Amino acid sequence: MFMIDLVRWWYAKGWGIFIDDFRKKLGDTADFFSIGQLLRTLFMPYRQISANANQETSGTVMNAFFDRLVSRIVGFFTRLFIIIFGSIAMLLELVIGTVLIILWPAMPALVVVGVVLSVVGVTL
Amino acid sequence: MIDNVVESFDYNSLRAREARLGKKLGKKFVQIFLIFLIILCLAGGAYLLITKVSWGFTLFSVAILLVMIMFWTKKELIPVPALKTEKLNDLLSNDVMAGLPKNPTTLDIAHMVQKTNSGVFLAVRYGITPSFLEGIAKDLPENPASIFQTALKIQKGTDSEEIHGAVMAVSLIANHPNNEMILKQMKLDLKDLLDGIVWFNYLNGLVSSIGEKRHSGGIARDLSFGYIPVLQKFGVNISKQCEGEMKTQIQQAAQKEIIEKMTQIFTSGGKQNVALIGPEGSGRATIVTAFAEKLMDADSKLPNDLKFRQIFKLDAAALVSATSERGQIESLVNHILSEAYSAKNIIIWLENAELFFEDGTGSVDITNLLLPILEAGNLRMILTLDKQKFLEISARKSTLANALNKIMVTPANEQETMKVMQDQVPFLEYQHKVSYTIWALKEAYRLSSRYIHNLEMPGQAVTLLDMAGSYAENKLVTAESVQRAVEKTEGVKVQVAESSDEKDKLLNMENLIHERMIDQEAAVKTVSDALRRAAAGVRNQNRPIGTFLFLGPTGVGKTELAKALSQVYFNGEDKIVRVDLNEFVEAKDVSRLIADATSDPQSLTAQVMKQPFSVVLLDEIEKAHPQVLTTLLQMLDEGILRDVNNKEVSFRDTIVVATSNAGAEKIREYVANGVNLISVKDDFMNYLLSRNEFRPEFLNRFDEVCMFKPLSPADCLKILDLNIASTNKTLAAQKISVVLDDDAKKLLVEKGYDPQLGARPMKRIVQKTVENIVAKNVLSGQASAGAEIKITREMVAAELATM
Repeated sequence: MFMIDLVRWWYAKGWGIFIDDFRKKLGDTADFFSIGQLLRTLFMPYRQISANANQETSGTVMNAFFDRLVSRIVGFFTRLFIIIFGSIAMLLELVIGTVLIILWPAMPALVVVGVVLSVVGVTL
Repeated sequence: MIDNVVESFDYNSLRAREARLGKKLGKKFVQIFLIFLIILCLAGGAYLLITKVSWGFTLFSVAILLVMIMFWTKKELIPVPALKTEKLNDLLSNDVMAGLPKNPTTLDIAHMVQKTNSGVFLAVRYGITPSFLEGIAKDLPENPASIFQTALKIQKGTDSEEIHGAVMAVSLIANHPNNEMILKQMKLDLKDLLDGIVWFNYLNGLVSSIGEKRHSGGIARDLSFGYIPVLQKFGVNISKQCEGEMKTQIQQAAQKEIIEKMTQIFTSGGKQNVALIGPEGSGRATIVTAFAEKLMDADSKLPNDLKFRQIFKLDAAALVSATSERGQIESLVNHILSEAYSAKNIIIWLENAELFFEDGTGSVDITNLLLPILEAGNLRMILTLDKQKFLEISARKSTLANALNKIMVTPANEQETMKVMQDQVPFLEYQHKVSYTIWALKEAYRLSSRYIHNLEMPGQAVTLLDMAGSYAENKLVTAESVQRAVEKTEGVKVQVAESSDEKDKLLNMENLIHERMIDQEAAVKTVSDALRRAAAGVRNQNRPIGTFLFLGPTGVGKTELAKALSQVYFNGEDKIVRVDLNEFVEAKDVSRLIADATSDPQSLTAQVMKQPFSVVLLDEIEKAHPQVLTTLLQMLDEGILRDVNNKEVSFRDTIVVATSNAGAEKIREYVANGVNLISVKDDFMNYLLSRNEFRPEFLNRFDEVCMFKPLSPADCLKILDLNIASTNKTLAAQKISVVLDDDAKKLLVEKGYDPQLGARPMKRIVQKTVENIVAKNVLSGQASAGAEIKITREMVAAELATM
């Protein structure tokens, strides 16, 4: 009864729970890297570092423009780096998760396969 | 709908089997053992395969099987989640199913409940102990069919996800024919227990959510926003505090609406500020915290323009103390606000914003700086203001009032306050390492509404509950702990007469009063009866303990009886709040009577606020201005009086005694004619009304009107004895005593008795004769320790001659 209950759960509810857990984990990683947010703000100044052009002389306006430009460039590359790194991390997680989801139904079979291999006398 | 066919517990159902298995496999040491076995199998399998032994595959198989079992245990067997049906066997919780034997009896259910978390919850907080439940179960039929059926109804009625131990416990009690009476003895009813189930479900949900990860924007969240070094120095980042913590629960529907309204205001194009106006303790800070959490929740449906905005609290006191001049503070605030504006992700929260709009101690008026910012709406701001202060400020600065999006925050009602307290209990329990009972929560609401004056609900009740944590006994916070907290922190006595000493005192009240007071049996009896009724709980809780009007000539014991009452009822002659109403003869004196404690600590309201358990003695009430008497009507009627700030002051634990000489001549006349005063009480009342001494609505407000008769020379002799006894009490420290012979006493009564002034001259005479004689004896060395001074008529006469 114990084994039947286990196998029954494994192929029905258990598989669903595993997929759901994986989905949540992927969601956590996506939140951590927040790629959507990075894309939306890709060209915004990094930490708003820029000079205040309170007195609007041509000099200060130009200074502010260049400051902001540098800030945007720094922000762009910082965000781009995180986007690339985050995308790779998420892709890896996705691949590993998918493999595990596919392997899930094979687990009970692996138990039987192991015993059969032993009985047959297979060695490495 | 629940089927009419009574469903019974299926011991062999899949869920029941899983629950029992989960109970065994879920034990910590079993889990550790399984991990150990997995590692052993993997290592052993690898070794065997390397050494060309084929059984290594079998060990790998065992390891895989054990991993499967561990996963199954963790995800299914330990929680055994309830199914979304209405069937008993799909809804029973795992601990209930694991604890029930095959074909359980009602008693088995009672035993099982004690082993469940929710059963322990009810035992600790509601006193539904194992022995209590067993007693209940023994009175019920052995077949538990009706228990299960009721449990299904309770589960549905309380919106519980499953039928857990607490549901089963309440079902047992609900099936008992005398449950109402049994629960009443515990000061509970079924509704309380049903609320208890809801409370448990709520706490259980909180505990389950602890492990859940919250999405709050990730590493890129703040990259686009600026640095704020000065704001970080002077402000507190509320949003940062919210990260990773339990969610702030909003229990008031009105507050949920406020948060929605705040979201609307900040996403619309209008003025970007919100002014939360309400009394302290009404939950303004909780609203801001909940709003901050909402903004930081990546999963919330908010526009990008508002999402991840961080709320910084600015402390006015810190800003004021950091600067020495107005110019400096303006410059500092300007700098902070510019920084917040440039950062582009800041919402400034000015807590106690009134401190920024008026000059005073710890406050500075920077309206000129803030007003343009509030009107322009470039920087989002939240202001929390005290209602009274806001009214004062808006009367002076209408432009400022118009620039604000005002949202009123109202205090919570009893039901909402109970929920807020239930919400706060886990934090307080963690902090104080105690458990709170339901009676503690109820008592905290009741007592805080009376004695915590500087806050509103729910802040009032939560503050008291927090204080009570320090007065726990055996790590349990009960109603008594709350009472002790109020007594120790507020200096008021709230515990009711429960000890035998207190009961004896009440039963013998007349004797105790007469130990210090002569005659006036009728008045003493009237007052004693009224107070006994109050102590027995047979009184209206929304009025003072007793309200009495003492009428009679001067010096007959009216004030003395009030003092005796404070001594006997409140354990101290100092528990008396005395107001001479002859000082309140003009209409404008009303404001002095109800003045704020800070401006006049001697006002009636200020004194009662400080000492709510006391005798309130209103002397010479007939001399007060009618406006003053009208003000006092609410106090007599509802037991409350509002001070000048409209703050409610409770008189519900006071004994109000008003004294008056009105009609004294009439009383003398009655006594001279040998009339029993009690029999002419109605006539006397009519007499007073006909002479316009009092208005009928005022007289009718008193529980009892007591008539004091004039004292006779015989009464004065007894009063003299009391005075001598008092002198001897004072001299006891020097081991000296005084004895007067009968002739001396007669002479003193002769000289001290005045039909117009009653016993009042007697005290002066005793002071000037007896006490003088004693003083001379002590100073001349004639009386030393152990001496008894005998005073004769001659000695008294000689002393009187010198006066």
